[in-house]
Amino acid sequence: MLWRAVRIVIVVAMLGLVVTLALAFRRDPHDIRTGTIGKPAPAFTADRLDGEGTLSLSDYTGKVVVVNFFASWCLPCAQENPALVHVYERYRGSDVVMLGVVYQESRDSAQAYVKRMGMSWPAIADDDGRVALSYGVFGPPETFFIGPDGIIAGRHIGPIDETTLITGIEALRQVGGLRPPAPSRSP
Amino acid sequence: MRTRIVIAGALLVIAAALVLAARPHEPTADERVDRITTELRCPVCQGLSVKDSPSETARQMRDLVAERVREGRTDAEIEAEFRAAYGDWVLLSPPIASWSGIIWLAPLAAIAAGVVLATARVRTGPPMDVGEPSAAQLAALRERVAREEAAEG
Repeated sequence: MLWRAVRIVIVVAMLGLVVTLALAFRRDPHDIRTGTIGKPAPAFTADRLDGEGTLSLSDYTGKVVVVNFFASWCLPCAQENPALVHVYERYRGSDVVMLGVVYQESRDSAQAYVKRMGMSWPAIADDDGRVALSYGVFGPPETFFIGPDGIIAGRHIGPIDETTLITGIEALRQVGGLRPPAPSRSP
Repeated sequence: MRTRIVIAGALLVIAAALVLAARPHEPTADERVDRITTELRCPVCQGLSVKDSPSETARQMRDLVAERVREGRTDAEIEAEFRAAYGDWVLLSPPIASWSGIIWLAPLAAIAAGVVLATARVRTGPPMDVGEPSAAQLAALRERVAREEAAEG
């Protein structure tokens, strides 16, 4: 009788292990669940990359904010840049804001990259890495979706595409009850 | 006699050294930084602590830990700040009071299962020795077979 119970326990434990591993391997590797999702976005105030003063996340309270960590030495960042440019133009003038955060790079080379790649949205320098550390960034590119309530609703690790960006933004716009986007200016 | 004195003296010296080594002392700021960064995982490395990693990210994390120590934050508060950003993953030793703490239970569960199996095996003992049936048992069996055949037939 005891043997039977022990065998059942062992079989159930093995099945549990197999199911757990199967579920873990099915997860999207880009969907890394760190501590920041669903929590208030860490506040920051940092120098603008263009030298025109400072910029605070609190300046954009009530808006959908897309925070993108990038660097010129990061090839996937260049790969995702056209999508960012298109989406920025699509929502320009609306209640959607895009912010770039330079990741482990000098201001001069980052500024040159921003100009070369046509990034018209504001970007900030993160010289000591405090902003990246507070968001739990592993490496560029990483993109965070912050809702009008200031809560981090989503995070994308790796190069992001236009569809993912628009889907994330629109989900937050619907939740926040923001006005429709301005007509797209992208070609 | 002399040997005993030497052994007793050696034991006294060892005991004194142990007492001195175990004496509580206030860690310096650098010791605290080292201890905390030894427990933190470098996010851009393969299994390296923040203390041991030469990466830029680890350097920034060490700087942040040192700043927090200077501000008077406790070790738990500093670790909590990194856990808030990176999750329990950032700790090289996962905390027991969390889902990842289950990993600590796995060896204990394996030992418990082994003890249960061994105990069951010992209690069950060797297989029973089935000897020859007695004459009375044989007679009872023959009578039962005859009864069942009569009932069928």
